[in-house]
Amino acid sequence: MDVGTGLIAIGAGLSVFTGFSTGIGQGYAAAKAVEAVGKNPEAASQIRTMLIVGCAVAETCAIYGMLIAFIIVFVLGA
Amino acid sequence: MTIHLTVQKEVLSLLVVAVFIIAMCFLINRRLKAFDPLSKPRGLVLAALWLVEMIDDQVRTIVQERFVKSLAPYIGTLCIFLFLSNILGLFGFNPPTMNYSVTLTMAAITWVMIQFNAIRDNGIGSYIHGFFEPIFPFVIPNIFGKIAPLISMSIRLFGNILSGSIIMSVIYSGCSFLSDLVLGLFGGSGFNFVGVVVAPFFHAYFDLFAGFIQMFIFISLTMVFISNELKEDE
Repeated sequence: MDVGTGLIAIGAGLSVFTGFSTGIGQGYAAAKAVEAVGKNPEAASQIRTMLIVGCAVAETCAIYGMLIAFIIVFVLGA
Repeated sequence: MTIHLTVQKEVLSLLVVAVFIIAMCFLINRRLKAFDPLSKPRGLVLAALWLVEMIDDQVRTIVQERFVKSLAPYIGTLCIFLFLSNILGLFGFNPPTMNYSVTLTMAAITWVMIQFNAIRDNGIGSYIHGFFEPIFPFVIPNIFGKIAPLISMSIRLFGNILSGSIIMSVIYSGCSFLSDLVLGLFGGSGFNFVGVVVAPFFHAYFDLFAGFIQMFIFISLTMVFISNELKEDE
């Protein structure tokens, strides 16, 4: 394995770092959702909907990073 | 002069989804014609009524009341098509939403609907004036803000389904390697038996759960963006 291929692998690995902040953010959102259900149990299904929508919108950070990693590996590494 | 024509595998999957939806439409139509409205619904008629009612309730909570009647069928179409396309990985096909062209088309239809409703409800003068608010140099960020829903919705759906499919293929090839390793002890390679045991859990997450969530996100964001542009109900 020459240096070029190794550098491509390092680049692809670095671009997945965007998932780090997604994990923290979505965990915080889930904690706040559980607290809100504790305060107001009859709004549980609305809170569940908003939690899912909010988490999926915030997940786009991780998705973009993973997409770039796939493009680097499959297009540059071929 | 040679013509190079590549037909991607997702075209076949699109045909499968379309044939399935058309066959279900004919079947449900025949059941509905023989259905007496005063009796209790059973079976396929019950499923169809339940689906229409769920989508109607969802649309009613987000969009203004006067717009629900014309928007709910589009949301229902998106819901059925996207859910069937996303879970097609379960049956061994490449899901159609794994191709960026399909997701870009769906997002482009939604984007044209958003801009058209903004212009129709508020007038084109107010639409163009909105680009220059609050001060003049804000034109460029406002233009990017208008294009952002198109790019983000298409890439979100594409990225999720593509990555699920790639991870499934990596899992299957790892399982076949393990199977060859184990069966090599007894002599010869053969059936990929580890994959049959391990893969269903991953299919349940990547295909069913993620497919449903991504469809739900797509239609929720469609409704939220459209209802943001319309005028409020008095």
